[in-house]
Amino acid sequence: MPSVELEHVSKNYGQIQALKDVSLNLSEPSCIGILGPNGAGKTTLLKILTNIVKPSSGKAMVNGRNPSHEPEKALTDVGALVEQPEFYPYLTARELLTFVARIKGISRSNAEDEIKRVSGLTSITSYLDRKAGTFSRGMKQRLSLASAMIGDPEILILDEPTFGLDPKGMKETRDLIRKLNSERKRIIILSTHLINEAQEICDRIVIMNEGIIAYDTMNSRDEAGIRIEVSALPDHLEIPDRLAVDYRIDGKMIILRKNLNATNSEIIEHLQNLGLKINWVVPQNDIENIYVSIVS
Amino acid sequence: MGNNIRNFAIVTSYYFKNYYRSKSFYLMLIISLLVSCLMTYFSLRYINSMSQLFPRLNFSGIGNETKEMIFGYLWSFVLLDLPVFAAVFFGSSAVSSEIENKTAFHIFPLPIGRGNLLISKYIAAVAVTVITVMVYVFVQAAVFVYLFNGLLITAFFQSVGLLMIFIFSIMAFTFLISSIFNKNTYAYITVFLIYFLVFNASGIIIEFLYKSNPFYLLNISAQIIDKVYINISASPFSNSFSLAPAGMGEIIRSVAVMIIYGVISISTALIIFDQKEVK
Repeated sequence: MPSVELEHVSKNYGQIQALKDVSLNLSEPSCIGILGPNGAGKTTLLKILTNIVKPSSGKAMVNGRNPSHEPEKALTDVGALVEQPEFYPYLTARELLTFVARIKGISRSNAEDEIKRVSGLTSITSYLDRKAGTFSRGMKQRLSLASAMIGDPEILILDEPTFGLDPKGMKETRDLIRKLNSERKRIIILSTHLINEAQEICDRIVIMNEGIIAYDTMNSRDEAGIRIEVSALPDHLEIPDRLAVDYRIDGKMIILRKNLNATNSEIIEHLQNLGLKINWVVPQNDIENIYVSIVS
Repeated sequence: MGNNIRNFAIVTSYYFKNYYRSKSFYLMLIISLLVSCLMTYFSLRYINSMSQLFPRLNFSGIGNETKEMIFGYLWSFVLLDLPVFAAVFFGSSAVSSEIENKTAFHIFPLPIGRGNLLISKYIAAVAVTVITVMVYVFVQAAVFVYLFNGLLITAFFQSVGLLMIFIFSIMAFTFLISSIFNKNTYAYITVFLIYFLVFNASGIIIEFLYKSNPFYLLNISAQIIDKVYINISASPFSNSFSLAPAGMGEIIRSVAVMIIYGVISISTALIIFDQKEVK
């Protein structure tokens, strides 16, 4: 079973603290979307998982191994596309993919089949014999994605995979990630600026801001779910069944699933009658509003 | 262990491909060919009029072997600069380019140790340098066989062997400098300044001030490559001159200096590269 674990990870770049005591545990095959503004720490988190930077403190483990100390073992079953990588300009796409396949332990004879598979998935088959130095940004992005998928890894780390792609390429890439996720055999970590992309594809959504995980939720596609933030909660809160079939409290947040016969107004009215001051109400699946409220 | 060796061979072969297809490789090849053509012309032009080259020396009755030693020295003296240029071309940006050109984002997440990556690239850079420099060496051998009906086997192979050690050593030193920087331009400028200014200036200053031979400088120890023909000092402050080749003691000392430079440089480069981060 693939696993990714971050325990109290912090990362400083000089005076700048890019990650602050971040903990995250992924042990089930699923797709987790990481959202956040520029400088939120999304890419730093992915870089720590892929041995591009080392944590200043805390522990990062991939499949039970530390990628900084044992990259040969920790990263064997990991495919990564971090930032917008460049390639050795005088090697062809085929050679670059063969290079990755061979390092991942795929035999020379099987490497050709694997390259055929991943180049087909990323639509670069006709460019395989061109040198990477001649590729456009979009083609490089496709090549990066193909490289990440070599060996059908258990963990896919994708940092803005649709960056630089045309609308058709973006759709193809999203469809591909969705398909990979539907197989339910790998962990996919998808960092993106596009909220709808994360909502469309991911099972879980994490919003990062200023180096911390500010929000972490299952990506609910349940229209009956709403989130209500109140100024202060009473010691005891009861919401009748006629209004909500289920509810829980998370800090100043009341997260509930409405009874199908109830309206938002009735629920708000009930809470106001209990003396609660309501700050805002958003649908549970309205990540955009939650994102805006966090980053602003 | 087996996997490591396998991966090392794979990475080296791909780095080698990337090097030999580069413009730098062809530029170095052209420089090497051009210099060997000039030296061929020089040798053919002066083989029978050596007194024009060294007016103070009496060349009457000089043997073929001594002539070959003198030309061997001159060819090797010129050869010394080729590994330096190759190191600048292939080594200066070897590590810094991984960061500046963002290829690190592709290779660091692969299941291979950083040490393996660095050593593979180092071996590939040494290999392409050897190829470009060997062009000159082969032309030298051909010209000598033509002019002298044969090669002074011992001196020639000693010189080539020492050249190989120098290539390993200077490339390691260049990789060390490259690993310090994240920008190619800084790496190029620093390598250039160290080889063509710092080393030469240090050598001259030490010799001038302390009247001692700074054999511990890499460029001075590399002079053993031509001294195996004639043990002449190129320093303007030295009076030592002899047509005899360098002795075994001097060869061993120079080899030791080059190996120490090589081992310390590549070990330090490995430590720096292992800690390297791409922000």
